[in-house]
Amino acid sequence: MELLLANLAHGFGVALSFDNLLFALLGAFIGTAIGVLPGIGPVATISLLLPITFGQPAVTAIIMLAGIYYGAQYGGSTTAILLNLPGEVSSVVTTLEGYKMARNGRAGAALAISALGSFFAGSVATILVAASGPLLTQVALSFGPADYFSLMLLGLIISAVLAQGSVVKSVGMVVLGVALGLVGTDVQTGQQRFTFGIPELSDGLNFAAIAMGVFGIAEIILNLERPEVRSVLSAKVGSLFLTKEEWKRAMPSVLRGTVIGSALGILPGGGASLASFGSYMMERKLSKGRDEFGNGAIEGVAGPEAANNAAAQTSFIPLLTLGIPSNAVMALMVGALIIQGIQPGPRMVEAQPDLFWGLICSMWIGNLMLLVINLPMIGMWVKLLQVPYKFMYPAILTFCAIGVYSINNNVFDVYQTVFFAVLGYVFSKLKMEPAPLLVGFVLGPMMEEHLRRAMLLSRGDPMVFVERPISGVLLAISALALGMMLLPGLRKKKEAAMAG
Amino acid sequence: MRINAKDLASGIFLVLLAAIGLWLNTEHTLGSARRMGPGYMPMLVFWLELGLGMIVLVTSFFGGLDPLEKWTKLDFTTLFVGVAVAIFAYPMLAAIPALSANWYALGIAMCIGAAIMAVSPGWRKMAVILAAMTVFGVLLDQGGLFLAITAMVVVSALADPEHRPLGVLGCVVFLLALCWWVFIYELDIRVNVWPTF
Repeated sequence: MELLLANLAHGFGVALSFDNLLFALLGAFIGTAIGVLPGIGPVATISLLLPITFGQPAVTAIIMLAGIYYGAQYGGSTTAILLNLPGEVSSVVTTLEGYKMARNGRAGAALAISALGSFFAGSVATILVAASGPLLTQVALSFGPADYFSLMLLGLIISAVLAQGSVVKSVGMVVLGVALGLVGTDVQTGQQRFTFGIPELSDGLNFAAIAMGVFGIAEIILNLERPEVRSVLSAKVGSLFLTKEEWKRAMPSVLRGTVIGSALGILPGGGASLASFGSYMMERKLSKGRDEFGNGAIEGVAGPEAANNAAAQTSFIPLLTLGIPSNAVMALMVGALIIQGIQPGPRMVEAQPDLFWGLICSMWIGNLMLLVINLPMIGMWVKLLQVPYKFMYPAILTFCAIGVYSINNNVFDVYQTVFFAVLGYVFSKLKMEPAPLLVGFVLGPMMEEHLRRAMLLSRGDPMVFVERPISGVLLAISALALGMMLLPGLRKKKEAAMAG
Repeated sequence: MRINAKDLASGIFLVLLAAIGLWLNTEHTLGSARRMGPGYMPMLVFWLELGLGMIVLVTSFFGGLDPLEKWTKLDFTTLFVGVAVAIFAYPMLAAIPALSANWYALGIAMCIGAAIMAVSPGWRKMAVILAAMTVFGVLLDQGGLFLAITAMVVVSALADPEHRPLGVLGCVVFLLALCWWVFIYELDIRVNVWPTF
């Protein structure tokens, strides 16, 4: 306990430095903006801002990128409540009750409870990250190569199982990501693999180019093809203060949302959107106001909004303690760390205390900032919604192009991005979920390393994966997760939950 | 039979990709399970991909109706001609000494291909956005950052018929100022701002 406090004090020391405060604010601000704006999400934004973070110290870079992710959870609710349009995937369910509340003249209350609930959930989740980090790290240090391989396999499988749409297709996307990760120089022999003699590919495909192409540029094309939904502000924001009755109804939902969100955030493949769906389903069944669902029940806003923010924070746990990204945003964080020369893994907590504790403390500070950014300044964000998409997409395109160029100062990376934009467009037309691909791409090379090492140690005996207890259990869970999705009943339930 | 065309296409895509991967992988030494060579992991990955692709392909026949978007004759023609011209133009352009460096030939070939595809309304938005980004790549080193951004924004504006010249101009000026401030003044990335000849 004393150690934890000392560490947190150290973390606050890092997080409260002028630069880190500034970039936490910047991240929270950008996050809110893209959360408010439909048509651009955290994955695209983080990938296009990735190159900008290279010049900064690793802590500052991660603080800003993290701010974008949880900032988007705050901002997404604004659009959902006021316009009946989800600013983010994770706020899809907020539209259901939030917009009804706005129609009833309680938009202010809905906005207030989603911001306050998010803040509460964020604070709790931050403490959870701080407490579990060192513990999990201890466990992870006893992992051998075989255990690591199985753990990553579990992460990949669960991220595919929980992705939208067909499980087999999602697993296919994971494997495709791993395949893309093979391009480049083989680490152990130095042989060039799948580079077609192109010197630019000897370091592998450009991570930022894949992320920007598949998520950023392809998204622009798809948005342009869709006719723009011109939505007018239908309701006044009104008073931000909640009535006593509303407090009483919302509090238990916030608590439940925090718990379920924190749990679903840690899960590999989980994250903010899964958490808000989960919480909504739970509130509809459990909360006292369940009869009012569909007519603007405050529980249906408070729970999911708390849950998505809690999950946004706790999804950092597997990344910071095990070095395993649980969703596409975390895969981007791994990318950012690797570019900074830091290999994410269980040794990070000890080797990079500034990074680990600084990030945790900045998360709490960031949540506090977001409360201020979102509540008193709500009018400004409403104005931002009036910027038409035709002025936004050239800006996104410009930032992508310059950003991807500046990584290696090579135009080949710009053309790579174009290539992956086409691929992303095809994926979307064929309903192939791209998020597992990114996770596979990041984990692939690490898995190959661990597989080779494990097999070398076991003298080529694949039984090592089953015989080692940790690895065996992890593999059993993976098999169980895959098997469960093959049961038609559960699959239907998942589809219902995902359809939102 | 109710064929899920999207799944069918995805299955074919995965199977083809896996087959190409396995074929390319024949040039890498496999090694043994104990001492894996560079070709071992790719072999595992592509066989797995092949299997998954097959499953997607086979199950698509019972997947329920999910048709692909309808392509017009023009869509087919422009796609085929655009890709063919780009593939054909690349080696031709690369043979010109002035264009052989810095991937100029690739960029120009991609621009030509995208321009041909933009003829068809079905591809226009995609082709215009991709062309805009490629134009940026072609112009950046010689033409400088400002010219490249201007060209990219102007080309990309063609993707949305609602754009008016004045609005595009405002967009260009705003982005030039913003990018100068962020990328040149603050981050100081190594790139020419003005044209060099």
